[in-house]
Amino acid sequence: MSNIAFQRLQREFKEVITNAEIAQTGIRLDTSDDTLTKLKGEIKGPPDSPYEGGTFKLDIIIPDNYPFHPPKVSFETKIWHPNISSQTGTICLDILKDQWAASLTLRTVLLSVQSLLAAPEPSDPQDAVVAKQCLTHPQMFTETARLWAQVCADAPGERNSQLYKKLTQLMDMGVGKESALSALSCNSWDVSKATEHLFS
Amino acid sequence: MASHESQMPSQENSDQDDSDVDDDNFDYYGEDQFEVAMYENRDDRPAGTSYRNADADPIDPEYFEYSCLQICDVERLLNECVEALCHAIPVTPALAKVLLHNHKWDVASLIRRYKLNCHLLLVETHIKPPKPVAPSSTGQRFTSCPVCVRSNLAYSELRGLACGDQFCRSCWVMHCASQLAQGASTAIECMEAKCSLLCPEDFVLKLLGDRPDLRAKYQHFVFQDHVKSHPELRFCPGADCPTVIRSKSLQAKRAVCKTCSTSFCFRCGIDYHAPTACATIKRWMIKCADDSETANYISAHTKDCPNCHACIEKNGGCNHMQCAKCKHHFCWMCFGDWKTHGSEYYECSRYKENPTVAQEAVHVKARRALEKYLHYYERFENHSKSLKLEEELRGKIKQKIDDKVNNHQGTWIDWQYLHDAATLLTKCRYTLQYTYPYAYYMEPGPRKELFEYQQAQLEKEIEELSWKVERAETTDRGDLENQMNVAEKKRLTLLQDFFDK
Ligand SMILES: [Zn+2]
Ligand SMILES: [Zn+2]
Ligand SMILES: [Zn+2]
Ligand SMILES: [Zn+2]
Ligand SMILES: [Zn+2]
Ligand SMILES: [Zn+2]
Repeated sequence: MSNIAFQRLQREFKEVITNAEIAQTGIRLDTSDDTLTKLKGEIKGPPDSPYEGGTFKLDIIIPDNYPFHPPKVSFETKIWHPNISSQTGTICLDILKDQWAASLTLRTVLLSVQSLLAAPEPSDPQDAVVAKQCLTHPQMFTETARLWAQVCADAPGERNSQLYKKLTQLMDMGVGKESALSALSCNSWDVSKATEHLFS
Repeated sequence: MASHESQMPSQENSDQDDSDVDDDNFDYYGEDQFEVAMYENRDDRPAGTSYRNADADPIDPEYFEYSCLQICDVERLLNECVEALCHAIPVTPALAKVLLHNHKWDVASLIRRYKLNCHLLLVETHIKPPKPVAPSSTGQRFTSCPVCVRSNLAYSELRGLACGDQFCRSCWVMHCASQLAQGASTAIECMEAKCSLLCPEDFVLKLLGDRPDLRAKYQHFVFQDHVKSHPELRFCPGADCPTVIRSKSLQAKRAVCKTCSTSFCFRCGIDYHAPTACATIKRWMIKCADDSETANYISAHTKDCPNCHACIEKNGGCNHMQCAKCKHHFCWMCFGDWKTHGSEYYECSRYKENPTVAQEAVHVKARRALEKYLHYYERFENHSKSLKLEEELRGKIKQKIDDKVNNHQGTWIDWQYLHDAATLLTKCRYTLQYTYPYAYYMEPGPRKELFEYQQAQLEKEIEELSWKVERAETTDRGDLENQMNVAEKKRLTLLQDFFDK
């Protein structure tokens, strides 16, 4: 990693950790190693969204030529959102691609991801299945996204009993929590279709 | 033969010994007007040379005026635009380049727009910020760079564009290097996130002053970008060819590079494809790539004679086949008897749409769609193969002429017509090949009927010509030259009626 990148990241860390105002917006930054190439981010699901109160962990990889190249950011926590892959956590966000600018910081990136949760853009999807549901069955999309946030990101609130029952039904068959959620969500919560999807 | 071109179509019958049927239909299809107009105009030309002059004839549907430029010619051309603009409005050459690159090198329109509202033009071209910049406070002795976050920088270390966003010199250099690594040059922007001002050439070159490798790369990319943004210029698509083709009109016409002989469509840059339009040929190419698996079975090079079932290998380009064993004449593409082919008109090229298609089940429809596609694809591919075989034939003819000349059996001029015939055959078959994607995407109706009628006529004459070229030594010269004229006329008629550049 270049000297510039290292200095920049040290400064960015300090800023996020010490600034009380930033802490209030519900974003955090952590590192596991001192080289600062692999970071962990965290954002709180924004209010008035199906992700409200959830804690979403992000993987951040810093390229050698940071900040002249954007960081690679993806969701570690599973999430149901049209601009984020429900399978891999890849995010479709302009500032992480061609709209990146050297003056942007990890703080601005995390805030942008957070506002993406508040304002999905199904017309420019990363996950086509989610985007289709978001456009054609908005009610089902909201319920699905909320349940994912509750099950995967510890979001508070009453769980949709109808959907949760179907989820436990599959989990009782020995299917993992996340696979069951994914299979049901991709098959419009049709248990037999989801089962077929999982066991074929 | 010599007077053939100047004759009225109605008189053609007496002059021609081949197929009488098409000429009866001549007036009905209204082709004669075009032929008269076109050939009257050529009366003063030496007979028999019209097909070779196609590139120089403004009435020819394929006529295209262009020139082949080398890098220094292009640089001169672009510099002339820059100078003209700098003379007319108060901008530096570097800013003039930003303006020209972003406005199709239209000097006149830029001058007009500048005089109308220079602020608006400069803002829209990302040269000036939309709002005036507040003067930065230079009270302190030191400052910092928001990108590398170094503080205690001297003000002289900072660089910036008209937006007032300031960053240290070394960050700018790294920014430019990283943009260049991604292929950007004319599109390098300010490092500030909300700012989209473009870095002009002088700004970047000054930053890269002590990096000759990056400077060279930058200038190379800028040149490429400028050629691409200039509406009259096209890079030759030939491998590693530095030639630039220039034409005043952006048409789907054939350009041939003088350096590497690559021939291509000036508008879209791929293989020339008249009469098919650029968008259509693109669709067709994508379709062919998608369907290559299903269409693969066609590539077989051998078929059985429909009469005696002897195995026949196609080794010439002509689709008029004769079985070596039973002497049966048949068509390679539809296996029909060659004799019945000519009697109506050349039926083989016409795909018969089934009128009851709408009532059929989905899977039957899908199969019909595939059949229809295969019909056109098979013919497209088959003519492409014939072209390759005839290319070899042309080489052999050239060799034969060389041998004859070396053996003092006449001069090249005496035998030139054989080579001309082979060249014309290639030209005609090339057009014929590209009539199939055109026909595939046509709506059924009278226009398609007319198209397929003309296509069939062209196909018939081409196979006739191919047959004669393959047997050139035993064919009468006048007969061969007559066939050449007939084939080329059919080709031009079809292009005149259906090729909309
Ligand atoms: Zn700096
Ligand atoms: Zn700026
Ligand atoms: Zn070339
Ligand atoms: Zn084209
Ligand atoms: Zn036979
Ligand atoms: Zn046939």
